[in-house]
Amino acid sequence: MTRQDVLDGIIKILKDVKTVDQEALKNITEDSDFIMDLGLPSTELINVIANAEDEFGLEFDDDDVDALDSKVKATIDLVMGTQQKSNES
Amino acid sequence: MNRSVAIVGMGGVFPTCSSLENFADKLFTNQSLIRRWEEAASFGKQMRSHVSGFVTLEEAGLYAQWSKNAPQYPETYLDHKERIPYEHLATADIGSIWAMLSGIDAIKMCGWEQSEVESVRTGVTIGSGGGGHSILRPSWHSFFNDGRKSRSLGSHGVDRAMAYRDAANVACLLKTKGVCEAVGSACATGLSNIGHAYRLIKFGLQDRMLAGGVEGTSIETFVGFDAMTVLSRGYEPEKSSRPFDKNRNGFVCSFGGAVVALEELEHAKARGANIIAVIDGYHNNADGDGDMFAPSYDGQKRLWQGLKGEVPGLKPDVVKAHGTSTPAGDSIELFSIISELGAEGYHISAPKSQFGHMLGAAGSVELVASLLMLQQQTVSPCLNTDELNDGKEWIQEQPGWAGTEKPVAAFRHLLPSQALQKEINQIVSLNYGFGGTNAAISISRYGK
Repeated sequence: MTRQDVLDGIIKILKDVKTVDQEALKNITEDSDFIMDLGLPSTELINVIANAEDEFGLEFDDDDVDALDSKVKATIDLVMGTQQKSNES
Repeated sequence: MNRSVAIVGMGGVFPTCSSLENFADKLFTNQSLIRRWEEAASFGKQMRSHVSGFVTLEEAGLYAQWSKNAPQYPETYLDHKERIPYEHLATADIGSIWAMLSGIDAIKMCGWEQSEVESVRTGVTIGSGGGGHSILRPSWHSFFNDGRKSRSLGSHGVDRAMAYRDAANVACLLKTKGVCEAVGSACATGLSNIGHAYRLIKFGLQDRMLAGGVEGTSIETFVGFDAMTVLSRGYEPEKSSRPFDKNRNGFVCSFGGAVVALEELEHAKARGANIIAVIDGYHNNADGDGDMFAPSYDGQKRLWQGLKGEVPGLKPDVVKAHGTSTPAGDSIELFSIISELGAEGYHISAPKSQFGHMLGAAGSVELVASLLMLQQQTVSPCLNTDELNDGKEWIQEQPGWAGTEKPVAAFRHLLPSQALQKEINQIVSLNYGFGGTNAAISISRYGK
């Protein structure tokens, strides 16, 4: 799984979230901010993370989720890091 | 301080009805809004009753976005007609959405300016009888049954299921700045919230209130009453609810919602508002007999006496009864009304005969029915009162019974089985709930 695969998965999740600015979503990059750039309400962020667990078949550590900021990059890092840990164990 | 309270707007979501006008048309043409409920029937022998006055998602212009995490969990509802912004749909269960739609319609009717809606003098009191069962049941599944992390429930399990979710959602949507709360009193909830709102204006704490009750369609709510074996059984859907009829055998569990806009009378007059009715008075009490379920003749008599104390010269043209169609409830209610009003000079309306028992919404939807009666000068019927008991009712055979010895059949003239046109200037609306709670409101035509 590449970082682009993860970004594509996140885009797929965000397409179903009606508060997300779908125009801005076309220009999403790793540097985008879910809240500032895409219009996601802060209360919806945890729903995106929970959907990402389903999308990628992973379960994130609570400490890692607590440490997340609202940058797309942080979520991609979380998915990639959790995937790597999963492969090692 | 001598403040009066006017009702200046109303809105609602009603089974099988496309609008308030459609609801009024069906009420006064003796139609039933009760039908077979396939969702209840799908449980086969598990479910005793299969009829309801329910509202589907499609009928309310809504659809669900289903969760990928939790089976059958509506992650959010979406609005085909774009009446409510998404961020407010996200925090709402079905009942709360109906409360918002009803509130929007009530404001449209009463014509409050945005500055009036968003005032510290404008409040919201709207409640539900049930909890957020239809949200909680599927959302809990992934945690309790699948062992998933709590975040699999999503972040809206609290706001969509909390006790005052309906008031909270309406206040957040409309940005009102006054009182925001919900009164809970089981099947009196709708009227209790309106009565509370009336007092807030009457006592000078608010100038405008959106008030009412909703009961979102919920199989979880339905099954609770089905388990008690208190629901009607054995009739065609439209014949199932038959308040006061000799062969009534239970109520029809229904769903819907309504909100009314209340305004201090002088404020309403000053802006030239269309005043639908003026509230003469409101009284509520409890039976005090230690019984959670059984209605109380004494409790209801005290209710009437309290209302009479608040409304000198009370002489209603119509008594809108709670009239659930239960064997225990209807005869006690009829006898307490007769005890306090006599047996001439008014008619009894039983709207539950047409749409069933909307639980926490009953009080507000039936007050809307009463307002429509005032507007159309027509008594809505006691449908299905085909045969009245000419023998003794169970309550009349209890030791110490102090009420009338006459049979229900002696009061046929009070119980029109079809809509009835007549001059209506004053209506008393009654609702009761589990726990022995009782509520009564009197409304009059303005200027009459």
